[in-house]
Amino acid sequence: MVEAFNQILNGLSIASILLLVSLGLAIIYGSMGVINLAHGDFLMLGAYAVWFLQSTFGIGLLPCLGLVFVIVGLVGWAIERTLIRHLYGRPLDTLLATWGIGIILQQAIRLSAGAELRYVKMPDYLINPINLFGTDISAYRLMIFGVTLALLVATYLLIFRSNFGMRLRAVTQNAEISRCFGINVSQVYALTFAYGAGLAGLAGALVSPLKSVSPDMGTGYVVDAFLVVVMGGVQSLFGTVASAGMLGQLSTWFAFVSNDTLARALVFSLVLVMIRFRPQGLFVTQVRRG
Amino acid sequence: MRQLLLSRAWIAGYALLAIAILAVPVAIDDPYLLNKFARYLIFATLAVALSLSWGYTGILNLGQAVSFGLGSYCMAMALKLKTMPIQTGTGGLPDFMVWNNVPSLPWFWQPFHSIGVAIAAGIAVPVGLALILGWFIFRARVAGVYVSIITLALLVIINLLIIDQQRFTGGFNGLTDLSDLQVMGIDFDPYSAATYYLAAGALILSLIVGLAIINSKTGLIMQAIRDDETRVRYFGYDVAAYQIFALSVSAGISGVAGMLYAVVMAFASPTFLSVQLSLSIVIWCAVGGRASLIGAAIGALLVTGIQGSLSETPIFLNTWLLIMGALFVAVVLLLPKGLISLVQSAITLFSRPVADRTATPVNKTMVG
Repeated sequence: MVEAFNQILNGLSIASILLLVSLGLAIIYGSMGVINLAHGDFLMLGAYAVWFLQSTFGIGLLPCLGLVFVIVGLVGWAIERTLIRHLYGRPLDTLLATWGIGIILQQAIRLSAGAELRYVKMPDYLINPINLFGTDISAYRLMIFGVTLALLVATYLLIFRSNFGMRLRAVTQNAEISRCFGINVSQVYALTFAYGAGLAGLAGALVSPLKSVSPDMGTGYVVDAFLVVVMGGVQSLFGTVASAGMLGQLSTWFAFVSNDTLARALVFSLVLVMIRFRPQGLFVTQVRRG
Repeated sequence: MRQLLLSRAWIAGYALLAIAILAVPVAIDDPYLLNKFARYLIFATLAVALSLSWGYTGILNLGQAVSFGLGSYCMAMALKLKTMPIQTGTGGLPDFMVWNNVPSLPWFWQPFHSIGVAIAAGIAVPVGLALILGWFIFRARVAGVYVSIITLALLVIINLLIIDQQRFTGGFNGLTDLSDLQVMGIDFDPYSAATYYLAAGALILSLIVGLAIINSKTGLIMQAIRDDETRVRYFGYDVAAYQIFALSVSAGISGVAGMLYAVVMAFASPTFLSVQLSLSIVIWCAVGGRASLIGAAIGALLVTGIQGSLSETPIFLNTWLLIMGALFVAVVLLLPKGLISLVQSAITLFSRPVADRTATPVNKTMVG
């Protein structure tokens, strides 16, 4: 019983990381139609930003977060302004261009920070596990869970309860008519892309103490994030949350009976089978094409 | 009339490329260079394979390296077993299995004692995987970017699996210390002209097969699917069947390329299924021109050739990926049809005075 409870908590922890990683991707794809393959590399930038701030200025992980969000967001903003904005309405080309951008970011980091693995220290006060209903759970993972929840609420408020969100939803529905109503479409796009990139940066910062930091760390994450988005359906925030939750649980249970790699392969096969029968994603009721 | 002339120009282009490829060993006697050029030819074959699925059918397969890698492992398994007398544990086990305490040769290794089976598997395994994947995604009418994302995920996962199953695949190191391929009494030493001709033959054959397909009715429908899938469906064609066909042919050619690569490199490793290789294949196609078989092939030869010569200087070794990424972004933004589109417009200009001026523009992508 305790074992099962432990597994569920593990699943929730993985799910929160998955959601954290895929949230930015889902927003950028869902509202702008841009397939951002550089998402994983934004995440990697976030991890390196923390490593840099920590090793150079001795700033702790949590105080870094705001700064990391801004730095990676700015990088995203600059990339949107210079490259992505020429590619709206050509999703395949955005995929190709962002793949190229990802390679450039990776190599730039490899040249400036070195190709060796880097390690980010976990904050001291979060190292000790917390006892929750009879099982020990890592305080750090609990914190990630909390931050993810907070970001989810913030994103929900931003999209559905703010003036900017209203403009974003208008632009998503019809950019031309939004423009006629005086909405600055390109500004909305740029800010959305920056927000998505910033979220990726935060995700990178938060996962950095769990695993080592390397220039090509993003590839695995971006694939996971895409699986979450594909499974949940692209235009639904709820779908992303639900699918991250499901995949998180599935991975833990599969990993419990086999190992992590086989679990990933199994999860992928499941997503593939799911796509065969429900290509629009599990949690989308209405399909919009085009 | 005009179409005929255009066809002739393209056929001349293909013939020139074939002659140039075949003439290389006559001019060059350096085994090291021959080996290097053989590698470039294999990459060009891969680019031709991607061009068939991406450029002609609109399936951007980001996991092209899966077929390539599986092909190379099939060949490498057979060549590894051929080294038996030299590197062996008890019962003729490959060395890495001995290190990993594998008691006896696993059942899926057994058939690879035969080179014939290995060659068949090197084609059948990638094609089989493509058929299964194609059935799942194309029957569900998944299109465009989703296909790309799924193939990319497949690549990452198969790569992880191969590294994870170290006992059977050699893990990170892959299958090393392979023997030479020996078929019909010919020894294909990686540094010999024979191996070079093998790679050249594969490239030329893949170009011929590709040309035959794209100039057939099937090829015409493939291109129609690329341009507008829904319309083709309204005409009553089974779109998914054509997409699965294109993906499978592409996978088969990549499998052959992979097998040759194992022969030329004398090892197979998970880097053959890396995201970076897959990206490179896409870049070669994009630079040369994805909707042209010869364009894709030349794109691959150009990019890998430049890479090969630049990476000998240490400065470029580090900045190469930067250059490649920037080049790729530039091509996507500025020259979406690749370098070959420059040639295509030049030929069109050149042939205009001869041809019937009132003729409507023909679809040049069909022949080239």
